[in-house]
Amino acid sequence: MHLTHHAPSFLPSAVCAGCILFSLGAAAHAEQATPGWKFSGFGTVGVVHSDEKEADFSASALKPDGAGRSGAWSRHVDSTLGAQLDLAFNPRWSAVVQVISEQRLDRSYEPRVEWANVKYQATPELALRLGRIALPMFIAADYRKVGYAYPWARTPLEVYGVLPISSSDGADVTWRWDGETSHNTTQVFYGYTDMRLYDGVRLRGNAITGLSHTFESGAFSARASMLTTRMTLKLFPELFDGLSAFGPQGRDIANRLSGDNKRATAMSIGLSYDPGQWFVTGEAGRSKAKSYLGSSKSMYASGGYRHGDFTPYVGFARVWGTPPGGANTLPLAGLPRQFAVAAAMLNAGVATVLSTVPSQSTLTAGLRWDVARNIALKLQHERVTPRNGSRGMLVNSIPEFRSGRTAQVSSVVVDFVF
Amino acid sequence: MNKRTLHSIAATLAATTLFLSCAVAQAGELVVVVSARSPVEAMRPDQVAAIFLGQSARFPDGTVATPVDQPIGSGQRDGFYRRVTGKTPALLKAWWSKMVFTGRGQPPREVAGNAAVLQAVASTPGAIGYIDREAIDPSVRQVLLVH
Repeated sequence: MHLTHHAPSFLPSAVCAGCILFSLGAAAHAEQATPGWKFSGFGTVGVVHSDEKEADFSASALKPDGAGRSGAWSRHVDSTLGAQLDLAFNPRWSAVVQVISEQRLDRSYEPRVEWANVKYQATPELALRLGRIALPMFIAADYRKVGYAYPWARTPLEVYGVLPISSSDGADVTWRWDGETSHNTTQVFYGYTDMRLYDGVRLRGNAITGLSHTFESGAFSARASMLTTRMTLKLFPELFDGLSAFGPQGRDIANRLSGDNKRATAMSIGLSYDPGQWFVTGEAGRSKAKSYLGSSKSMYASGGYRHGDFTPYVGFARVWGTPPGGANTLPLAGLPRQFAVAAAMLNAGVATVLSTVPSQSTLTAGLRWDVARNIALKLQHERVTPRNGSRGMLVNSIPEFRSGRTAQVSSVVVDFVF
Repeated sequence: MNKRTLHSIAATLAATTLFLSCAVAQAGELVVVVSARSPVEAMRPDQVAAIFLGQSARFPDGTVATPVDQPIGSGQRDGFYRRVTGKTPALLKAWWSKMVFTGRGQPPREVAGNAAVLQAVASTPGAIGYIDREAIDPSVRQVLLVH
């Protein structure tokens, strides 16, 4: 299978794999009767153009580059291929494995297991899963890779980009219950995650604990979610080693700001009204980490009108970042000259790291065209403005980068499911 | 705006409504059916929609429901979902993509045409399907007329 693919050129292999998977799709319908299996998949082929020359526009902090500085055009921002195998052993026991190939920090397209769990359906309303689940944060975080399932080219970065952890290995319980005219789904989860990023840097979340509740009534739906974890993301090791060498004050700053086993929490509420002809949706979120990652508030609002196969839409998104408070500078007074120089450099390093806590706003206009029953073409234009001296959700900025300048970002994506 | 203008607007609206309902009738009326032996007598459109969208696993009386779909691309299927759930084929596909790729559920079993739906519904306790109104027979009971 072409999913195992290491070279950075994505398109030929994606198209090729797509063809194979489509032809498999025709045969892969061993139906829902138990025992049984079903093979399905999804993907996105996209290109993005950005006119910002001093930083890259990227869909995720877990990608090495994007459109803008590394090249005006990028095909790596949205391109994704996912495949899923569903197994039903009997009416109560089933399993799912979902594998996703997209550009990783090491620039490979090595597939990653997004979902892998065994489900026990105790009653039609109560299910227990053991294994890997995608975190059900926000309205769409657990299916954010499936572009076909939502109107936009990608889920709004300001809201969905604040939480680096996306999956949990552990257990979850889902309980569905009906009101007179409403349908409720309550999900609680507990687990951990340990993800290799690059060169020995790992992203770890211990004791990920959370709750998600979905309320649906006719065209109206709402989801509230929250999670807390002890997160480890040890970036900038030289900076924190340097601070630790500067006596009790340095150690104090290093302990407070380092990304070693720090409490991180996130919560969100989302509302959506979709009677079919049109839709409006909006979400608001809060995240807080007791480390250099800081805290943030974020929101977006979006709406669209469906005219046959065409859905024009608009949106606005905003994230307000707050760097961690407290005294984060080493006092220079009274230090011998060579130590003062080193301390000043460390202070500058801390200031730079804290300025990466993102603030940004984005105005979006786009068009979704449902070309065929399982293919959607989307054209999207965004005005992305990093704010408050930060580089926003952009990555790879160079020192000449100026916050507050608007980047014009245009995307063309084709989403498919099979 | 005077009374006469209001009257003529009302008349136009009434004529339009009549025309639209005729157009819908020509597009074919559908009936939602369960087994003739099922205790379920009547259902609201939102209750039917919840079962076919995988939001609810049970009939209003609490018995477990098993929905049966007509084939992809059939007029019955597209008309049923458009009128009962407000979803076009593309929106329905997006809905099930969301459900399938988060492990929340699989779409209903598909069978070929009115006769196959009748057979599946009549022979499976708890099955629910939709067929053209004129295809109904005594093995099943109509629980909703879809205009």
